Amino acid sequence: MISHTQTPAEDAGAVTPASEYRPQAPFLDELFELDGTPRPAASALVEQLRLLGPEGMIEAGRRRDAIFMQQGITFETSGGGGSSHERPFPLDLVPRVLSGQEWRDIKRGLAQRIRALNHFVDDVYHAREIVREGIVPWRLVASCSHFARAVHGIRPPGGVYTHVAGCDLVRHSDGTWKVIEDNVRIPSGISYVLENRAAMARLVPELFASYRVRPVDHYPQLLLSALRSVAPSAESEATVVVWTPGPANPAYFEHAFLARQMGVELVEASDLVVRDDVLYMRTTRGLERAHAVYRRLDDDFVDPLEFRPDSLLGVPGLVRAYRAGSVAIANAFGTGVADDKAIYCFVPDMIRFYLGEEPILENVRTYLLSDPEQLEHVLARLDQLVVKPTGESGGRGVMIGPHAEEEEIERMRETVIAHPERWIAQDVVRLSTVPTVGEHGVLQPRHVDLRPFAVFGERIDIVPGGLTRVALEEGSLIVNSSRGGGSKDTWVLEDGDDADRAGPPIADTQPPALPDLRYGAWTGQQQQQQQEHHQQQQEQPAPRAAG
Amino acid sequence: MLARIAHELYWLGRNLARAEFTARAVEAVFQAELQGASDTKPGVSFGSGGLLAMFGDVDESERSSQALGQLTLDADRPGSMLASIERAREGARTVRDVISAEMWEAINTTALGLRGGGQPGWAAPAGPYLASQYVKERTALIWGVSNRSMLRDEAKCFLDAGGLIEVSDMVLRMLRVALPSADAAAADGHALILLQAVGGFHAYLRAVTSPPNAHPVARFLLFERGYPDSVAACVDSLHEVFTAADAGPRNSKPVLRVSRLAADLDFQRRALPDGAELTGICEGTQQELARIDQDVAERYFAGAAAAGLRR
Repeated sequence: MISHTQTPAEDAGAVTPASEYRPQAPFLDELFELDGTPRPAASALVEQLRLLGPEGMIEAGRRRDAIFMQQGITFETSGGGGSSHERPFPLDLVPRVLSGQEWRDIKRGLAQRIRALNHFVDDVYHAREIVREGIVPWRLVASCSHFARAVHGIRPPGGVYTHVAGCDLVRHSDGTWKVIEDNVRIPSGISYVLENRAAMARLVPELFASYRVRPVDHYPQLLLSALRSVAPSAESEATVVVWTPGPANPAYFEHAFLARQMGVELVEASDLVVRDDVLYMRTTRGLERAHAVYRRLDDDFVDPLEFRPDSLLGVPGLVRAYRAGSVAIANAFGTGVADDKAIYCFVPDMIRFYLGEEPILENVRTYLLSDPEQLEHVLARLDQLVVKPTGESGGRGVMIGPHAEEEEIERMRETVIAHPERWIAQDVVRLSTVPTVGEHGVLQPRHVDLRPFAVFGERIDIVPGGLTRVALEEGSLIVNSSRGGGSKDTWVLEDGDDADRAGPPIADTQPPALPDLRYGAWTGQQQQQQQEHHQQQQEQPAPRAAG
Repeated sequence: MLARIAHELYWLGRNLARAEFTARAVEAVFQAELQGASDTKPGVSFGSGGLLAMFGDVDESERSSQALGQLTLDADRPGSMLASIERAREGARTVRDVISAEMWEAINTTALGLRGGGQPGWAAPAGPYLASQYVKERTALIWGVSNRSMLRDEAKCFLDAGGLIEVSDMVLRMLRVALPSADAAAADGHALILLQAVGGFHAYLRAVTSPPNAHPVARFLLFERGYPDSVAACVDSLHEVFTAADAGPRNSKPVLRVSRLAADLDFQRRALPDGAELTGICEGTQQELARIDQDVAERYFAGAAAAGLRR
């Protein structure tokens, strides 16, 4: 358990070079050993950071904000009095480094987990074997807020439900990775992974000097080919669209980003129409068919005929078209049942049940409050646990016991007793820290988590790294960007031992010989030459080659 | 492409062109009004009052000194450069996946630069001039980037179409406001300001031999196909882009109507005697353009309009 009182860094505020950076025990720091010496893999990076110095960091930060404002990579924060204003996305300039070996373990673990979750969604809407085996109680499944009766018995093309998944990982102080949350509805953040990398390469190219970092920018193509592979299309090329709730949505930047990067249309509900169980979009040339929809809004809103009848963002008849198999939806309707926090506890059992394997990535220890015994245990230690609502995401409604006020805990106690089935409790995880640029450009330890993004089409592909979210306030464990969190570029290092590594480096190929450059200039001398040449040609017609 | 997107691109083009044209006109009037009356008798009347009239403003009480300021950075005035750019930015944000990232950045940066009173120094008397310069440069950059970075597909067609129809509308508005009425046709003084207000002074000098008096200038701005901002050139280009964007151009109302207008302008250029009255032609052409705008909305954006979109 972490201590309530954080020892403030003794030298906070003073201008300290990176070499005097001090990790905060008992948390694991990913770049430094506890005694303040850089870890072997990070030593070159630490040296570069030292050369940059606080001034260099501040300067690069200023350029970063200007660039992000110009590019419109912003998010809106609501200030006092309901006014909101745009702020540049807070990217921290110190990258997080993962070794190739570490990443391979994470990747295998995630692929396993996502496969199991996909099996689970299929099972819940079909045979319910896992319920009959007594592993997951049906009562719990049916009470999930994202359980969708409307899609019972529908099996999408390829049997894939969770096309896009992002599991939140944390690193415990003993170095092990644990899954803290599964996101298989509409996980967001991938656009920031790509934009962060692009910005880092522009702002602090010197940091990349000693490293071969695995690229991330192929994600949109992975997603597109996954969507094409599940689209029910007899024609050669399926039409894929990204469906956004509209420009007012906080994640609109990402929706537009993905549509642009994939080269597909970004549609709103008013662009879509269902005729005879087939989905069309309204174009300048009349109605055109759409085969696969990457939707970025919740089940509740997608179809007023089947889900919430008051939804203005939905397309009437979409679920019927989906049921008829004329359109693929990613992620499939009803997947939310698999990322409910009450179901999370059962994921290790799912892996054993469906795949017959032992889970590679562990869960954080979680208490189901609908169980009276566990509830009693939790109520006794509310001030030491994290309490989360089951059907929410984005850090809403979360209470962190050790950081909460007395009355907040008491209020939570009443709420939990009233509706225990809507809450879970988890042990507080000692999130690892990574040096982060603080005030005056000085590096300070800040807590991080990691959200890798997986794409499930014909196979599961996971982009190297993912979104590292960082709590920008000292001692804070909350990394959500809506609540003052920032992000970091995540580097997965190439160690020449990965099967799906990219091809040979560019330098290996021999460039072809090119003709010399020509420069056009019309000088007096050339004019004269040209005239003489012309005259010569007129006097004696060009001689034919002898022989 | 999506009807809604086409609609947004069309208006993006219109808003950009409007901002640019406003900037050019403000700059010309600003410079003209600083100087005294010229020695030779002016053949047209175009000052800040005329400028306001061009934007459909009939309020006589507010005049000159405020006019230029209102047309530059007044966010509450829908005709101001700032308002046009802000609308363009809103539109660009909606179609961010269709236009290139570079183009979005160019538009966004322009809006950021104009907000909150613009750059330091713009509060000075020279403010309208500096702001106009800025908008001129930025819109030139935006169009340049769009020409270089966007695929020449339907999206580009609708963007260009919006720009073209707006430019010809603005030129016609200016001519209608500035040209002397039919009975005063005898007073044919110089009309330099009209050329300066569209940035066509240099092109005129190279294309036309007669001095820049009201009639030759008006003819140039209406009929000269070699000058890209003339009405005839815009209408020709409109025909091209609609033909390219339309699935069945041979029986498409907007294409047919534009085609007729182009032929009509060409006929008038050849048939009209020198010194003939032109205001009637300006009015007729403007009305025809309004009908084309309507046809475009019906044929291409019908889906979007039916869904209850704004505008």
